[in-house]
Amino acid sequence: MKLALASSSASVESARKQPAIQVSNLSIVFDTNRGQTIAVDRVSFDVAPGEFVCIVGPSGCGKSTVLNTIAGLEVPFEGDILVEGSRVYSPRPDVGMVFQQPHLFPWKSVRRNIAHGPRMLGKSRTEANAIADDLIAMVGLKRFADAYPNTLSGGMQQRVAIARALANQPRVLLMDEPFGALDAQTRAVMQDNLLELRDRIKATIVFVTHDIDEAIVLADRVLIMSAGPGRILREVAVKLPRPRSSSIMVEPIYLSLKKDCLDVIRAEGLRAFNQSDAS
Amino acid sequence: MQDGTSARLEIALRTDGRGRRPDSARLRRLNILVGALSLPLFIGLWELVSRSGTVNMVLFPPPTVVAAAVLEWIRSGQFLGDLLASLFRVTTGFIVGGALGILLGILTGQFPIISSLLSPLFHILRPIPPIAFVPIVILWFGLSETGKLFLVVWGVFFTVWLSTHIGVQKVDRGLIRAALMLGTPRRQMLQEIVLLGALPYIVVGLRTAVSISFYTLVAAELAGAFAGIVYRIEIAQQNLQTGQVMGGLATLGLISFIADRLFAALAERTVWWR
Repeated sequence: MKLALASSSASVESARKQPAIQVSNLSIVFDTNRGQTIAVDRVSFDVAPGEFVCIVGPSGCGKSTVLNTIAGLEVPFEGDILVEGSRVYSPRPDVGMVFQQPHLFPWKSVRRNIAHGPRMLGKSRTEANAIADDLIAMVGLKRFADAYPNTLSGGMQQRVAIARALANQPRVLLMDEPFGALDAQTRAVMQDNLLELRDRIKATIVFVTHDIDEAIVLADRVLIMSAGPGRILREVAVKLPRPRSSSIMVEPIYLSLKKDCLDVIRAEGLRAFNQSDAS
Repeated sequence: MQDGTSARLEIALRTDGRGRRPDSARLRRLNILVGALSLPLFIGLWELVSRSGTVNMVLFPPPTVVAAAVLEWIRSGQFLGDLLASLFRVTTGFIVGGALGILLGILTGQFPIISSLLSPLFHILRPIPPIAFVPIVILWFGLSETGKLFLVVWGVFFTVWLSTHIGVQKVDRGLIRAALMLGTPRRQMLQEIVLLGALPYIVVGLRTAVSISFYTLVAAELAGAFAGIVYRIEIAQQNLQTGQVMGGLATLGLISFIADRLFAALAERTVWWR
């Protein structure tokens, strides 16, 4: 009896230490018309449960590809991806995703869009609608519950997309430049909304962006990637106090963090430039 | 947020109640007036030209004679039979051809192996004008209804098949990825995403097929029939009843116009998110 107790508490301990996402030695190869290209080259990183990680890098560095592979939408060439300890083969409901475009179903109202996931997982219409209504309130769209996507602004559509991804209560939320297509004001508001939301949902979040400011405001940790082939250059821990808002962007501690990141990016940019010059 | 009425009020106040520039309102009224006069003007002119003596009234009867011929046609009881016979051919052919087109379009659009099997064949058969099949259809089916339906189905099928096939292939990949991430099972993807995503294309194909079904109806009835609007036009032509010929043409124009309008209204409801 005693033994059993001890072992069960040990397994609880190990479960707590187990990362939410483990990416090990991930390489992704694309077939192009000029042969094969290595898009992502031996990338490894862990994300702790509840952690908010941002991946930044220039366009074409493979950051979205890494995210799609964690989502199960793309297949790794080599390496392993474990989510909550089990290997990812295909999309799964405990991993949610928000894309750069909202990709809302145009023939469904806001409520039916958000209820889609729970419906597909076998919940009744009443249950699914209740879940949707809670999330609609959470993203502040109560007045638009019965509206159709084409009547909403870009920011509102992306809020619906986030609520829809949360409806299946994913353990992991993947976000692929979700605010990239929004104007600067909307983007700042959305970042603050996401920070608020994050305190309530307790999901592990991996967020891809090319905006270094966005990454530092949001993340616990920033992974900086280089292009051609995609590699992780540096990890920067963001030890800024929470709760945060985008107003932190003028604080000295923020600016020194940003300088660290920019130095890495600039050095890499110069290296890439000189390399292309030499060849 | 400002609601509609108070916004309108404010605009009215700021523009002294004119709202729009006055000349644009006048122009709009003029356009409506000209539009309302279009048909009466045309018919009046036709009447004058026919009765002026410069043309042969037997070959080019005035609208009043045409109207009298149509009235006579209706009173004889033949009109209803002709109308029903033509409408039956068009609707049945449209429904059968449309249903087959949608079904096969989904299959070839969704499964590359079925597309590889059927698409080459369909692409060779599709450009042949349905009218060219009249001789062989007469050999196969004689003057039966089956032959006429075959022609209409043939004409409708390829248009609907192609637009459905393209629609299914053009369904936004982003929607499919989003649906996959939300746990949509592969077998439910068709009804939840693919069909609705392809619907705008399917509806356009069906609408084009409405007019095609009338073209093929003409071929089918000219090939030999015992009732029908086009059949009656042909009979009237042989008897030099030019009034009834023109009345038949007008009827054909009117019913295909109504069919198209009805379909457009239906399409707007079906694809309301567009």
